[in-house]
This record gives sequence, structure tokens and C-alpha cells, in this order.
Amino acid sequence: MPDDTTEDVVDLLLDQHARIEELFLLAAGAGGRTRADAFAELVRLLAVHETAEEEIIHPLSRTLPGDNDAMVDERLREERAAKETLAALIDGGVDSPGFETGIMLLRTSVLEHARYEERYEFPRLRRHVPPDRLRQLAVAVRAAEAVAPTRPHPGAESATANLAAGVPLAVVDRIRDAVRGAAGS
Amino acid sequence: MFNPLDHKGIPLDKQVRSWRELDVEPIDPEAVDPYTRCRIITMNGIETEAILFSHQFARNNADVDVRRQLAFTRYAESQQQRVVNWLLPGLASVLETTLGYEQVAVDLTAWVARHEPDPYLRQAYEFGVLEDFDHLYRYANLYEMVERRKAEKVVDALTEVMPGRPTVVEHRHPFDEVRTPYDKNAVDAQSKLNALTILSAEQQVMIYYMNVGPQYMEPIARQLYQEISLIEQEHVTHYESLLDAGENWWERLLTHEYNECWLYHSFMEQESDPRIRAIWELHLQMELGQLQVAADLLRRYDGREPEQIVGSAGVPEPLRFEPNKEYLRHLLATQIDLNKLGEGYVREAHERFEWMQEQLHAGEQPPSERVIGMHRDEFGDEYRIETEGPHPVESLRAREGTRRA
Repeated sequence: MPDDTTEDVVDLLLDQHARIEELFLLAAGAGGRTRADAFAELVRLLAVHETAEEEIIHPLSRTLPGDNDAMVDERLREERAAKETLAALIDGGVDSPGFETGIMLLRTSVLEHARYEERYEFPRLRRHVPPDRLRQLAVAVRAAEAVAPTRPHPGAESATANLAAGVPLAVVDRIRDAVRGAAGS
Repeated sequence: MFNPLDHKGIPLDKQVRSWRELDVEPIDPEAVDPYTRCRIITMNGIETEAILFSHQFARNNADVDVRRQLAFTRYAESQQQRVVNWLLPGLASVLETTLGYEQVAVDLTAWVARHEPDPYLRQAYEFGVLEDFDHLYRYANLYEMVERRKAEKVVDALTEVMPGRPTVVEHRHPFDEVRTPYDKNAVDAQSKLNALTILSAEQQVMIYYMNVGPQYMEPIARQLYQEISLIEQEHVTHYESLLDAGENWWERLLTHEYNECWLYHSFMEQESDPRIRAIWELHLQMELGQLQVAADLLRRYDGREPEQIVGSAGVPEPLRFEPNKEYLRHLLATQIDLNKLGEGYVREAHERFEWMQEQLHAGEQPPSERVIGMHRDEFGDEYRIETEGPHPVESLRAREGTRRA
């Protein structure tokens, strides 16, 4: 992996996009335990990633030259829609009959959302925000990753059941606190 | 053997498509067979050449009836190009499509080289494929730097990613790019189709890179596209000079249509995606109709029968996208240090080559070298896919490097 000291927040978010793509492949294409594990990891990573974007990236975009509110509002709308689909998938679980269709729908909307950011939002950050600031913000995103458990409730019956038991909300709160703390410092 | 001249196809006046028919669903970049993407990119290049050729033909013929006939066929071909190229998804980035282009350049040229009956023409393909093979490696390293993703996502493990003939030494004096043409009366019919196919594919690569390169903000990305697009232009010179300039406009039009029939027929036979296969099948039927028009023009204005140009045996065996790993490793091991002088091939760095290298590089490393250095600095190693063992050329094996944790 690249050096922590040169990596900026855009690099980190791109890394996460790449990992999200891989996890979708596994969650949609694999079966059994591999699918359940990939889905659990996907839920965790999406929580970290979207929280960081909502807390840091999108508010920063609003402050850049030009009118960026419409673009940011559109990204937030996509994120909300994806969260609803995700919540339904978590409720149903990986073994439910609607999972395969649902995960493909979620994959398409999340990957489109990611590409919109890469094409229209990230280039503006690199152009207008000083490199030092972008590197500092990477620290905040790493902090968010650090507080999110790698497996929600390890050792329990199944990862999906843990997620359904309400872990994401609690996790998201902790992630948000970590992001805010690190970004503000 | 399939003989396109035996079929009527869809008549031209039934070929105009509505918006609804043009609005095709793109492929899913996360789930597509990489060789389906390759077939799409290839046919886009073939249709683009058909359109550009027809425009040139029209500019060189004053007869209004001929111009109208060409315009009508060209409109149908333009709609075919829009359908084929619009199968590519907006979800894919420019660099991901670029990796697809290089996979085409590698596996299409390798197939043609393996099936080329003429030794001089075969040498031209063997020479060219090692250069595109290197471009794939350079772009794969850029891709990981700029988009933080791995080229394996695009090419799967069907095509290896490692150095070919290094791009830095691909810049030669333009005089030495010009080859000896085949003799249209003596050459095998397949050789004509092979040459037109590779010429069309490389031309599309050139057009794509020279236009999309400046869309990147990262200086190294802009610079690498600039460098490789210049090589692709040299490849167009290399391949187009293989064609016999004595082929007149009428017979060239016929060969273009016939070649499109061969390729759509080939891809229809091989296509794994039923929805895409239906498009290849429809386009084959359209091309058969366009071939009839070209054959009529040939009879009327040139006084010859189409069989006198392409023979009566039908098209060659279907062209296939398939892995060429062993063959490419053999070429790497035996032809990596080949250079061009005049219309032949040599192994020494001759005076004209050295002159060009000095003018262009001017004592500095070109972008194709710097991109690898930058990747090593950032990630600790180079990006490669070597599924069949270490690189066959010892000096091009990966240097020891470890990914930083």
C-alpha cells in the first residue's frame, strides 16, 4: 500500500471505492460463508466510507468556488437511497430469496454514485483544496476506519444477524464522532 | 465455409434505425466477459474505419449518384458504430476503456499473426504486438496510481501484464515505419482482411488516445497518453503501408464490406452474451446488404465481379479472442530487441534511430519510464500480472520490491 504520509483523502476514498467494488463481486457472486463475510465487511466499509463523505467531503465541496450545492444534494440523495436498499438487505439477510436481486440493485447505485464523485467531485477538491489539507483529512478517514469493528460482534452466530441486530447505527455514531474529532483537530 | 457473396442480407432501405433501436443497454463492466468488451472495441474500430474510408472515397469521386450511394451506406454504418460503441458503459473510466483497447491490440494482433500466411506480413504483426503489449503494462501502472484499482479487474487473467518491447525504444524515425506493401494479385485473400482489420483497430486506438488524453488532470496521465498516442500513429503508418496502393476505390470498398462480414460472422459464432450476439447477428445481416451495394458499384463502375477481388471460397476461419500467453512469451524471448531499418528489421541501434531518440527524449526519461518509477515510489513495486511464471527476458524481470503495508 502507498505511503501514509503522501496519501491524501482522495487517494483513501479511491482505495475504498476499489475495495467496495471487490466486496460487491464477492457478495453478489460467491455463496455460503464467503458471501456472508463479504456482505458483513461491505456493510462495515460502506458505513465508514459514507460517513466520512457526509461529514468531510460533501461539506467541503459546498465551500469550493462556484455553485456546488446541486451536485452535493444529488450525491446525498444517492447515498440516502442506497442506505434504504442496504437496510432492506440487512433485514432480509444473505439467505433471503430477494438478496441476489437486491444486492445487484445496490451495487449499481453505489458504483454509479462512486463514479459521479470520481468524475465531478474529487477533481474539484484536488484543484481547489491545498494538498496539506487533503492529507490532514486522510487522517480523519483513517480514524473512522479504526473505530469501526472489523467484524460486528465477532464470534456470534452469523455476521448478518449481528448487523440486523442494530450494529450499524451504533457503529455509525462512533465513526461520526471519530471523523469529527480528527477533522477538527 | 461462409460466403457473404451468397447472401442478400437486409436491403439498405430497411436499415435506418429509430432512436429506440439506437438506445442500447450498455454492458455491465463488473460482470462482462473481457473478450466481449474486446469484440465491442474491435467492431467500433472497424465501423469507424468504414465511415472514414467512405468519406475519403466521396471526396475523391465527383459523380453525384456515387456520392449519394456512399452517403446512404455510410449513414447505416454510422448507426452501427453508434450502437456498437454505445455498448460501452458510462460506469467505466477512460483508463478502464484504455486497458480494454490494449487487450484488444494484444490478443487481436496475436491471433492475426498466428494465422497470417505471408511471412513478411506475419513479421509486421509480431513486431507490432510486442509494442502494444508494453503499453498495456504502462497503462496498468498508471491505472493503479490514478484510480487505485488493479488492471486485473478489466483484463482478468486472460492477458498477462508485464513489459514488452519498452515504449522508450519504440520511437523511431518515421522513414523506418514504412513497410513494403503486399501485391494485391499475389497475396492470399486472408492477408488483405488481416491487414485491414489490424489497421482499423490501431487507427481507432490512435484516435481514442489523442482525444481523451487531455481529460486527465494528473500530469503523468496526460503525458503518457501523449507519448503512447504518438506510437499508435506510427503503428497506423506501419500497418497502412502494408496495403497495396494499387487497389482502386471500388475494390477497397468491397474489401471493407467483406471484411466486416467476416468479423461480425466470427464474433457471432464466439459471443458468450446472447444479447450482444443478437447485435452481431443483426449487423452481419446489414453488412451483407451493404456488400451487395458495394458489389453492384464494382460491377457498374469498375467492370469486375466481386469474386475477382475476394475470391469465391468464402471468408477465412472465424477470428477469435482467446489467450495468447505462450505465443507472446515466445515472441518476447526471441524478438524483444528487434528494431526497424528501411523496410526491414535489424537488431542494432542504427544512426537514424539514434538521431530520432536524441531529438525526442532530449536527455530525459519519457513518460512511459517515469510512470513505472512513480509507481515504484508510491507503492513499492510495479503492477504486473505474470500468470505463467517470471518474465521470459531476464533483464525485464521485476526488480525486488515490497508493497508497503
